[in-house]
Amino acid sequence: MFPQFRHTMAWLHTWFGLALGLVLMVVFFFGSLSVFDREIDRWAIPDTRYEPQPMPSFDRMLKPIFETVQPNAAERAAVAGLVDGPLPARFDTARSWGAYTTHRDPVLTLFVGYQVPNAKDHETAVWANRTIDPRSGVALPDDRLKIGSGFFYPLHYSLTIEWKQVGYWIVGFAALMMLMALVTGVIMHRKILRELFTFRPNKSAQRSMLDVHNLTGVAALPFHFFFAFTGLVIFAYVYFPVTHTQLAPLHDKHEQVEAKQTGLPHERAGSAAPMASVDAMVLEAQRRWAAKGMAGDVGYLNVQHVGDANGYVSIYRAGTDRVQLAGEGIHFKASTGTVLREDPPPTLVARINEFLTGLHLQHFRHWLLRWLYVLGGLAGCACIATGLFFFVEKRKRQHAKQGVSGARIVDALAVTTVTGMLVATLCMLVANRLLPDSMPAGWPWRGDMEKYCFWGAWLLASVHGLWRTAPVAQARLAPAWREQCLAIAALAVIAPLLNWITTGDHLARTIGAGYWPVAGADLFMLTGSVLALLAARKLQRRDALRAAAPAPMLEAGHA
Amino acid sequence: MTSNTLTRSHLTRSHIVARTALALLGGYVFTWGVIAAGTALMYGAGMAFHDAEHLSYIIGILVYLGAFLAGFAAHKLRRVALVLVGGGALLSAGAWLLQQQLV
Repeated sequence: MFPQFRHTMAWLHTWFGLALGLVLMVVFFFGSLSVFDREIDRWAIPDTRYEPQPMPSFDRMLKPIFETVQPNAAERAAVAGLVDGPLPARFDTARSWGAYTTHRDPVLTLFVGYQVPNAKDHETAVWANRTIDPRSGVALPDDRLKIGSGFFYPLHYSLTIEWKQVGYWIVGFAALMMLMALVTGVIMHRKILRELFTFRPNKSAQRSMLDVHNLTGVAALPFHFFFAFTGLVIFAYVYFPVTHTQLAPLHDKHEQVEAKQTGLPHERAGSAAPMASVDAMVLEAQRRWAAKGMAGDVGYLNVQHVGDANGYVSIYRAGTDRVQLAGEGIHFKASTGTVLREDPPPTLVARINEFLTGLHLQHFRHWLLRWLYVLGGLAGCACIATGLFFFVEKRKRQHAKQGVSGARIVDALAVTTVTGMLVATLCMLVANRLLPDSMPAGWPWRGDMEKYCFWGAWLLASVHGLWRTAPVAQARLAPAWREQCLAIAALAVIAPLLNWITTGDHLARTIGAGYWPVAGADLFMLTGSVLALLAARKLQRRDALRAAAPAPMLEAGHA
Repeated sequence: MTSNTLTRSHLTRSHIVARTALALLGGYVFTWGVIAAGTALMYGAGMAFHDAEHLSYIIGILVYLGAFLAGFAAHKLRRVALVLVGGGALLSAGAWLLQQQLV
């Protein structure tokens, strides 16, 4: 685009980095929180604060539940538009029953997919999802939101914009731009090694912002590249649905060949058949895993074509001890319990793919690595945020002279995405502790109210950011930053306090009992509070300093 | 970014839009072609279907990154357009032909 290659790369880095940096900030932050999504769930749903449980007995506990679960109003609404005429009051034919748990889940997630009799497309299924306490079989109320795994995690990969999968596309584009920013960043800065050891906190704000930007960018470069890349690989089927469009015939052919090879029926037979003991099948699966030297627990159990002669049960191993998402699935005939198939060992390509995606999704058990992920993700946030700060610091004097509002608008957007996002997150957790146990009639569900609080708080923070960045137009520091830092500092103390008041789980008790999911969440917030307070103080000092003597301009020519 | 007049003259709004569209959409078309051709070729060569698909995705994402950067870095807009869109179309057509043979 420009005569010089590096100039073009710098232009790309600046402008696409700016435009998508705002999205990337959200993706990195909620990705970091998602590393501990199950633990955040425990904080948000106090009834589930107990130790992780193994898969309970299918025959005695799960089967009776599966047989009675029906889709709730929200789940019915999801398919209402896909049928001719009204939906039946009850669904009878279950396509599949599934039960999923991990080594970090006290609760068990169950899902039933029912055939929809008058669906326009015969493949349509209506899903009924339930979360149960595996010790008693008691279901969690439908109005509870798993804030970690049910909200922060989807925010990370889809911004929760489900319509036409638009959210996935935005995040995918942002991830591609992350890769671009890393490559162009390396091209722009030739003295990579030196930047790893450069931090001048006492120079101008602009200089130290750039130092932090380079330092976090370079130090965590492999981490950031890997996560943006594997994130794209995980959702590549959404971005490039080649095998479901152009190559659909080839895909269909493969499925037919596969059904023949595996012996697992693709369709129902149409004749009813009783179900043999699934507990016996689980024992057999565990015996076979142990014989292969990889004894383990069940992570996922699926019954396909429920109640039909073609029905089969698939049992997958929980992948707690390896990076790959290898399930070592063993499939049984549902009516007899005989083994139909044992998944063959993965091929080389499958192992590479499972390693890449497994390292991103981290189902394995390794707490140190989990924390390194969080730090890597937060380093990404720091890198993006300082990039935004640098953009503003570099231009605000010039824009002030020219009377242009560009720097101010970017600063307001940066306030919204950096501190505003934290305010919204903490407000959601505060709302979670303050809302009544169940909302009065006529109100949205409790979980939905929590989401509204999140978005409402974010909107308010954004308006505040827009209003209190006015001084940027005069090349001064925006008070919005300090004020929102103070808000974060306060909220991050209020949330753990409310947790104490409403549940009795204060830190002395949770740490004493070694219940780290809740203790960790509280400590994380309290640490955040201290950091926010320090940031607010630093900002105040800088403002006072700058009022005395304006900071020198950075040498020209830097991109 | 330096703001000398030489570079400013290059940077009309329509040029930026054209470059962005080319890098994004052209890159997409080219990547689609690579994934389609890669999947069909490797499946045709005896690899398991999902292996061929996943390997093509892994390669495809890196190709997209390269194509996006090339879309901006290249001096001649028209030549990149030809390579990305034309190449992508050719690869897709190749994948389609191969599929005819395989199904």
